[in-house]
Formats: sequence, structure tokens, C-alpha cells
Amino acid sequence: MIHIEPTSQAIHYQQLAKQHGTPMLLLDCDVIAQQFNALGNALPGVELFYAIKSLPHPAVIQTLDALGANFDIATSGEIELLRAQKSRPRKTIHTHPIKRDKDIRDALRFGCTTFVVDNIYELEKFVDYRHRVGLLIRVSFPNPDTPIDLSRKFGCREDEVGLLIIKAQSLGIHVKGLSFHAGSQCPDSRNHVHAIQQCKGIIENVQQQTGKLLSILDIGGGFPVQYDKPVMDIEGFCAPIREALYKLPEHIQVFAEPGRFISAPAMTSISSVMGKAKRGDTTWYYLDDGVYGSYSGQMFDHAIYPLTLFSDITQTETAVLAGPTCDSIDVIAENIEIPPLNIGDLIIGKQMGAYTSASATEFNLFDKAKIVAVNQIKEAEDNQAENNIVKFAE
Amino acid sequence: MKTYSETLYDSYGQEFSVDKVYFENKTDHQHLIIFENAKFGRVMALDGIIQTTEADEFIYHEMLTHLPLISHGNVKRVLIIGGGDGGMLREVCKHASVEHITQVEIDNQVVDMCKEFLPKHSAGAYDDARVNIVIDDGANFVRNCTEKFDVIISDSTDPIGPGDVLFTSDFYADCKSCLTEDGILVTQNGVAFMQLDEVTTTAKRLQPYFSDQSFYCAAVPTYIGGVMTFAWATDNKAYRTLTADVLKQRFNAANIKCRYYNPAIHAASFALPQYIVEALEESE
Repeated sequence: MIHIEPTSQAIHYQQLAKQHGTPMLLLDCDVIAQQFNALGNALPGVELFYAIKSLPHPAVIQTLDALGANFDIATSGEIELLRAQKSRPRKTIHTHPIKRDKDIRDALRFGCTTFVVDNIYELEKFVDYRHRVGLLIRVSFPNPDTPIDLSRKFGCREDEVGLLIIKAQSLGIHVKGLSFHAGSQCPDSRNHVHAIQQCKGIIENVQQQTGKLLSILDIGGGFPVQYDKPVMDIEGFCAPIREALYKLPEHIQVFAEPGRFISAPAMTSISSVMGKAKRGDTTWYYLDDGVYGSYSGQMFDHAIYPLTLFSDITQTETAVLAGPTCDSIDVIAENIEIPPLNIGDLIIGKQMGAYTSASATEFNLFDKAKIVAVNQIKEAEDNQAENNIVKFAE
Repeated sequence: MKTYSETLYDSYGQEFSVDKVYFENKTDHQHLIIFENAKFGRVMALDGIIQTTEADEFIYHEMLTHLPLISHGNVKRVLIIGGGDGGMLREVCKHASVEHITQVEIDNQVVDMCKEFLPKHSAGAYDDARVNIVIDDGANFVRNCTEKFDVIISDSTDPIGPGDVLFTSDFYADCKSCLTEDGILVTQNGVAFMQLDEVTTTAKRLQPYFSDQSFYCAAVPTYIGGVMTFAWATDNKAYRTLTADVLKQRFNAANIKCRYYNPAIHAASFALPQYIVEALEESE
């Protein structure tokens, strides 16, 4: 999906490009806040844990922390990011279903005590820490309708939950709830609703059969954003989820782990044409960012980002937009009809916050695009506290 | 209102109001904070776990110091592993009969920081002429040490974190080889009601090296969840059955002022709650 806009519309981006250089990613923290609030309004009563992996940037953490968000962490690196932002560890859950002993210890040292498991081997890793943790069991609900089925690699079968809970009880480990991932970028919320209904049944059965009270249901992520195709608006997407959650026993606390929904719309890529060549009937444009960089989501995340070009010419020609690396797979768009571009012209990629910079490489030793954050929150309270703290000499 | 929540357990915890932050360091993969609390005075926490407070530290430090020193009766040389806040050193220094104290701290900055922000803990003990401060990993120090000590006090952090090596079988074996004949090793060993495994694991790891291994108890308010246990390891069984008169005589001779410790507490503290006794029996 490529928009052509008149060159008069390019001025704002040209100024940014001049100031910061390209390739760059413009991160708008106001959008982070808007998305967080929109999801919060669509899912009242649900505690939101931002999935740091989608865009692990300090400005995102600060913005969300100020709004009272919680955080979903999966690695020790993500823990370090939170620690640096002074976020409160009680507001985190560790959601990686497979962990090394060191990962568990690092998380405990940070102060995170909620972990996710989906099999016996993983459960046994918590024997030494059983007095300190509460676990969620991740259940698999395959979703063939999503681009990325998150129930293939992780999650136990529904009929395995009971056995895991009995095993946990025999090991003295506290299981406090269930989690699932209905898929990523879900076209509708049918699988969420199905999973919530099934989990309700599991929770009731477990209590009947083992006496174990489960108190948390983590409904994961999957909330869609618009890339090349229209998606349901978040209110419409969440309405059936709300209805399903309403039927849960009253004591159940519900968590969700939005990543993409919060971060994707908040970042815009600005890259420029660094070279062009006529090859047969096709014009090849070589950009300073590509699929090894910010457009990595086109490889790993199955995303096609909406692009904007600026031209006052109405004729078009067949073209290819390629990335800067030497690999021939490094192509962002081909077989497209666009007006002729000049070297130095800007290419704007929208909805590029989630799984873009996060999965970008430095292949060919091209630097990753610089992230420029705007509308960052004023840390008035923090600065106040800062004055009271005597910093230890490094 | 600013607060600090301990994150030691998932389903239970203590929270402090924070009147003022004196020091905070969130680098080196850890989080250290010292703050003022109305009830407990200055509070130091590391990685979400309360380490020490001005109001109740005397219980912990007196019990780890005076139990072994009074029991032994003739302590000349003491080794303190950890204890960077200086509280243990302060208590050991009260014993005029002690001639030499080595304290091994992994990080010199901890000592400097505690002198500055928790000055009441050391109360000048770092200036005592009998004190030798060594900056080294405690486990490494006892592994390579050729000196002998009458008492070794392990004042470590929680086993999850930088202090984990101070709970290993190797560490206990190395401590044994640094002790004089009839020497005593004591270690902080967690709150048994919350983490009963720590008691049984320590017992299993110490017993191969010492003919008399046990625990004694004291309740420290900010080590929440009931009585804290201290591990006791020596080859002299007689220490644990000294009569109240003997303890009283030695305590009076030492002429030490305490706020928790006294000879009656000393004798009574080896009595263990039944759930600990049973856990130890079952793990044997």
C-alpha cells in the first residue's frame, strides 16, 4: 500500500531528516499513551502488561510507567531496561515459557515473582524457588486465522493443565492462574473468546477436582493494528472479550499482554533513496533502510507497512524499493507503480513501532535506524526525587 | 506517599513508607537503596529484599556474635564474612579479649557507603586497631586462607543473588579448615517458616564437616515470617549444653551491654520449634 502525496507535504519529514539524518524512526510517546488508554477503555478492569519485546525503548517504558502500566518481561535484558527506568518490579510478570536457572534468578533478584510454565520440566526448575513464586500455566489454543500462531511453539494442551497442577502441588509450588496467547494481529476475537470460555471450564474443574483456587487469567495479546489491510477497531474487537470475561467467577483477576497494539502506531520510519538504477523496464531504488533494518518485520512479523512517497509528477513507472545491504532478499516492495524518485528523496513507513527496530540487525554493519522520541512525559516527580538522592560516585 | 515494597515472596510481603531516600544505585545488575522509615530508621534493601534496619539490627548482630563468642569462652581471632554494614564488627569489637578480627567484604564501596549512610551500624568499629578489612570474595578468601580463627561469622545476603556461594558445601568445608580446633562457624540461615528448605539444605551441607551441627533462633521484625534461624557448626558438643551459670559468669566477665542477648536467651535460643525439628529429622 503506497500513498503518493505532494512534495509540499514532505517538509516536516525533511526537517527531521536534516536534523537527525536518515534512516531514523520517529517515536511519538503521545501515541503510546493514546493506544494504552484506548485498550484500557476497551477492557475495563483488565490489568495491562506491556510486552516490552515489541519495542524495548526507555521512552516507551517511561510513558507507560507514568500511566500505571505493568510490564511483561521475557529476558534478563528486558529486566535491565526496566531497572534503568526505575519501574517497580511488583508490576511485572515473566512470560517466557522456557527459562534457564539464571533467568529465574535474575528475575527474582529484580523482584519479579510471577512466572509462566507450560510443561513438567519447566515446573521442576522452580522447586528451589517454590516459596517465593506464583506460576501461571500457559495453555495452547491454536488459531489458524492469524499470521503468527503463538500456540504452536508454546503452551500445554487443555487436558494437561490438571496434571501440571497436581504435579505442582506435590512439589509445593504455587500455581495461581492460567495464560494463553490467542495469536498475533488477530482478525477478530473469536479465539480469545473461545480460550476464555475453555479456561473458565478448566479453572472450575481444577477447583472441583483438586481444591486448588486459581485466581488469575492472562489473556495475552493479539490486539490488531492496521497495516496494509483494514482491521476491526479496538472497541469492536474487545466487545466479545468483555462479554466472555464478564462470565468468569468474580474472584478472577484478568491480565493482558499488549505489545503491538501499543507500540506499532507510535513509530514512523524515515529513510531516503541512496541510489537508483534502471534494470530492464524496472527502476530500482536503493534505500538506506531495509529488511535487515527497520523493515525486519516484513521478514519476521509478516507485516507489510503502509508507505508514503512525495512527488508532484502524475506519471508512474514500475519500480522496486530495495534495502541497502548486499543481499538480494533485501527488498521492501516490488512491482509497484510509482512516480520517478530522485536520490535523496524520503520514504515514509507508517505503523512501524512493533517488531521493527526490535528485530533489526546490523548486517553489513549498517547501523540500525536511530530512534528519535518526541512528546516524552515530564518526569517532574522523578526530578524531585533525584534531588533527594545522593548519587554514589561511579 | 512514597513506599518501598519488599519482593521476596509472591503472595506475601512488607511495605515501608519512605520519608527520604539517602542513597540509590540501580547499576551493576542490582538495586541498592537506603531510605528513612519512621518506625525502623534507616533501612537498607538490596534487590527488593530488606538487608538491615537501624531499629532491629541489634537482634541479628548480637545473636550472631555473642552466641559463639560467649560459648567458646576464649576467642582470640574472629573472621567475619560479609557484614559490610559494620554491625557485626561493632558487636565483635565489644569483646576486649578478642585480639584480631578479619572482615572479608566483596566490595569496598559497600563499606564506604555504609560508613557514610548507616554510620550507627559500625559506630566507629572500622577504626578499631584489631580490625583487618580484606576486599575479596568470601568463598575465595576461605579457600586460600592459611590463617586460623576461633569463630567464623557468615553474614551473607539471601542465597538467590551475590551471596549464593556462601551457602555451598565447598564454602562450609573451607570454613572448617580455617577454624581452630573447637572453633565455631555461625551463619545467617533465613526465616524457616517461609523457607524451610534453607534449614534442611544447610544441615545436610554442614553435617559432613562438623560433629555438632544445629540451629538457634531469634525473631527479627524486618526478616518477616517468624523466627530467623542461625546455623551452628562446631566439633565441640559441650558448647550447646553450657549451664546458665557458666554463661552468666562469662557474660558478666566480658562486661558487654546488649539489648537482645542475655545468658537466658542464649541458652533458650537452641530450642527449635517442632516444625523445624521434624523437617530436620525427615531430611536426614
